[in-house]
Amino acid sequence: MKTVAEAAPIRTKPGAGVRVLRWLIQLSLLLLFVLLFARIRYGASPSFSDIFFRVDPLVFVVTSIATRTLLAAGLLSLVVVVATLLFGRFFCGFVCPLGTTIDLADVVLGRKSPRATHWRHGKFFTLIFLLVAAIVGASFIGFFDPLAILSRSLALVFYPGASYFVGLVSALRPAAFTETLLALATLLFILGLGLVVPRFWCRNLCPLGGLLGFLSKFSIFKFSFRGECKVCGLCERACPTGAIDSGRRKVDAAECIGCLACLRACPDRTIGLAVKPAPQPVDIGRREALVAIGSALVAAPLARSIIHRNLQGRLLRPPGSVPEPDFLNACIHCGRCMKACPTNGLQPAILESGFDGLWTPRLVPRIGACEKNCNLCGQVCPTAAIRNLPREEKTYARIGTAVVDRSRCLAWEQDRACLVCDEACPYNAIDSRNQTILGTTLGRPFVNEQACVGCGLCESRCPVEGPAAIQVFSMAADRKKTGWYKTPEKARLRSCGDEPQEDVPSGFIQGEN
Amino acid sequence: MNRRDFIKTGLGIAAASMLPKALFGAEPRKPAGPVVAEARGVRTKLAKGALDLLGGMDKFVKPGDKVCVKPNISFAANRECGATTTAEITRQVVQLCLAAGAARVVIFDHTIQEAALCVEQSGIKAAVVDKDKVSLLTLTKERQFADTPIPNGRELKSARVAKIVLESDKFINLPTAKSHSATGVSLGMKGLMGLIWDRGALHKLNLHQAIADLASVVRPDLTIIDATRALTSGGPGGPGKTVGLNRVIAGIDPVAVDSYTVGITQWYNKSFTGKGVKHIVAAAEMGLGEIDTAKMDIKQATV
Repeated sequence: MKTVAEAAPIRTKPGAGVRVLRWLIQLSLLLLFVLLFARIRYGASPSFSDIFFRVDPLVFVVTSIATRTLLAAGLLSLVVVVATLLFGRFFCGFVCPLGTTIDLADVVLGRKSPRATHWRHGKFFTLIFLLVAAIVGASFIGFFDPLAILSRSLALVFYPGASYFVGLVSALRPAAFTETLLALATLLFILGLGLVVPRFWCRNLCPLGGLLGFLSKFSIFKFSFRGECKVCGLCERACPTGAIDSGRRKVDAAECIGCLACLRACPDRTIGLAVKPAPQPVDIGRREALVAIGSALVAAPLARSIIHRNLQGRLLRPPGSVPEPDFLNACIHCGRCMKACPTNGLQPAILESGFDGLWTPRLVPRIGACEKNCNLCGQVCPTAAIRNLPREEKTYARIGTAVVDRSRCLAWEQDRACLVCDEACPYNAIDSRNQTILGTTLGRPFVNEQACVGCGLCESRCPVEGPAAIQVFSMAADRKKTGWYKTPEKARLRSCGDEPQEDVPSGFIQGEN
Repeated sequence: MNRRDFIKTGLGIAAASMLPKALFGAEPRKPAGPVVAEARGVRTKLAKGALDLLGGMDKFVKPGDKVCVKPNISFAANRECGATTTAEITRQVVQLCLAAGAARVVIFDHTIQEAALCVEQSGIKAAVVDKDKVSLLTLTKERQFADTPIPNGRELKSARVAKIVLESDKFINLPTAKSHSATGVSLGMKGLMGLIWDRGALHKLNLHQAIADLASVVRPDLTIIDATRALTSGGPGGPGKTVGLNRVIAGIDPVAVDSYTVGITQWYNKSFTGKGVKHIVAAAEMGLGEIDTAKMDIKQATV
């Protein structure tokens, strides 16, 4: 057996270990992100599955401002803020799972010139845009936050695919979403930008990158040159974000993601992390900043003044969703609730709630209903757009009211002993009443509006083809930002339901008793 | 001949209606009709008590058999309200099957509400007493069902029936006793709707006849009704009026077992017999079994 000393020395360039280490950290964290996401399912505890969102300072800041409520879960992101003020944008180079995904895509796309581009101020533009919009009361973070984008891609693109294959060999029912292609197109676009320059998104568009880059200007440790430098330019060529100007021996702290590629490239080790507490000048153009502010001032009122929101009354938000304006400001379109929903009923909205409501969750009962005993969507929501209600409390959080369409109903229109809606209803909100129509007496469904919570089980199970003969509309939806849904009065009404005043079913033959 | 062919040829009706006579014909009895066993008393002994009256589980389950047991766990409802079969009775039935030498027991249902929640709420996992031999299966996919013609069907001409039933050696139907807003009661035969993929289709037909049609091709080897408590209104999903009965009713003849059970309690605060339930009448008219309790050989025991 050879000892370590006897083993052939591994001949590598200095710093190769650093590269491997970085890939290891990046891939492990990406894997962790995916595993935490995959763990969101009924029957598994979702606690801490939102840890990445908790350490995302952009989510914390924008959501807190837009909702005018401190996002307590996001306080953990101050750790990232402090770390960035110490060491710079390491989050982007090591932690961000979208950054890692982009790195992987860039490997596939082939290495392009990492030259600096004029677009690098774009990330400050999106950051200012998001912050100003949040201040004037609209949140667009769902379109720009890297974690939300990746999480949504996992939910709407990868989860349906993965569940299809898992479903081939298990009882898992494959998930499907109405908006998969658009989510896929967004992801492919972001990854495809790597054809221009590596890490295009991170360098030019990512508002989280903008925020951390801005903070990095003030960081205590910065990459810098020291001692004798031959100005060979190897570091500049190795830098994937174009942060280095070797001629002027400068490293732009806002661009540097701490990937350590320069360290590996430098033959003399003259570049490295050093204590440089002096802030670098913030070089966001005044004109660019004004355009960003102006855009936000146009977009925010536009988003908030959409008049066609929920015109059909079919926009059903998950139970415990805060009132709609707050909901739109809190929801970051991460898609976790849609992954969580065991019935696949939570689907991404397209334009039902305005363009800023794209990818927000809505219940589509025809696809899947809200199960009485499940409250998983509220448990996994990272921003409390859907409140984390206890199971029983959730059953009182009304999302709408069922309405029977008698002209389509098998019992009303075709004299069939159907009442599947009554059968499916877990709240005793459908009463079967014997009604005589043209001489035929039969139990026909009526909705008890006081008992109905809009879960949609009736609509999901209605055997009529096409639109169900019983449909849930958002009327009487109970949306609260704080406070409880269960009241003594509601609880009393429900307990009375234990002995419903039902008519004798028409499955019995009258006179044979 | 495997079970599937057996069903497909439609011989099931004739053969099974002769079976009671074949089994019990040697013993002379006053009512020559089918045996219906009813055990009352302590919940933990009810299943064995009922099966003992039928001559023991080993009359039905042979060593090496693959047995499928279908409790009704269709609803994620409060497990004591009566909308679902109790885990306790299911556990007893599974254990009786194993004691009779069953090689494998599959507990299964095709739930109405989300399967994972129904399984959790029913507590049915407690019936998986032996991890090697007993498994729990929820039917969630169309590929788990196979097209089956219903040659004598008057309303329903074919259905996609759970393959697990077609592929098993023995099928034990283990419903709970409950009311039903459309069919009046939901017992053994109504519970067979849980075996088919598109049960909504039955509601577009004459539902009562369609249930009987289905019963004409899917014939359980044994029907055991969990009447530890009955949901006598508000069914099938509950909540509703729950009546404690502490009984288990069992037999081979699905019509007889259902018909007898109708009479053991009031439904919707009214008294009925099997002859007052449309789908049971339809099944009797098709010759699927005995509806008249006076013609049944009713054996009772308190355990």
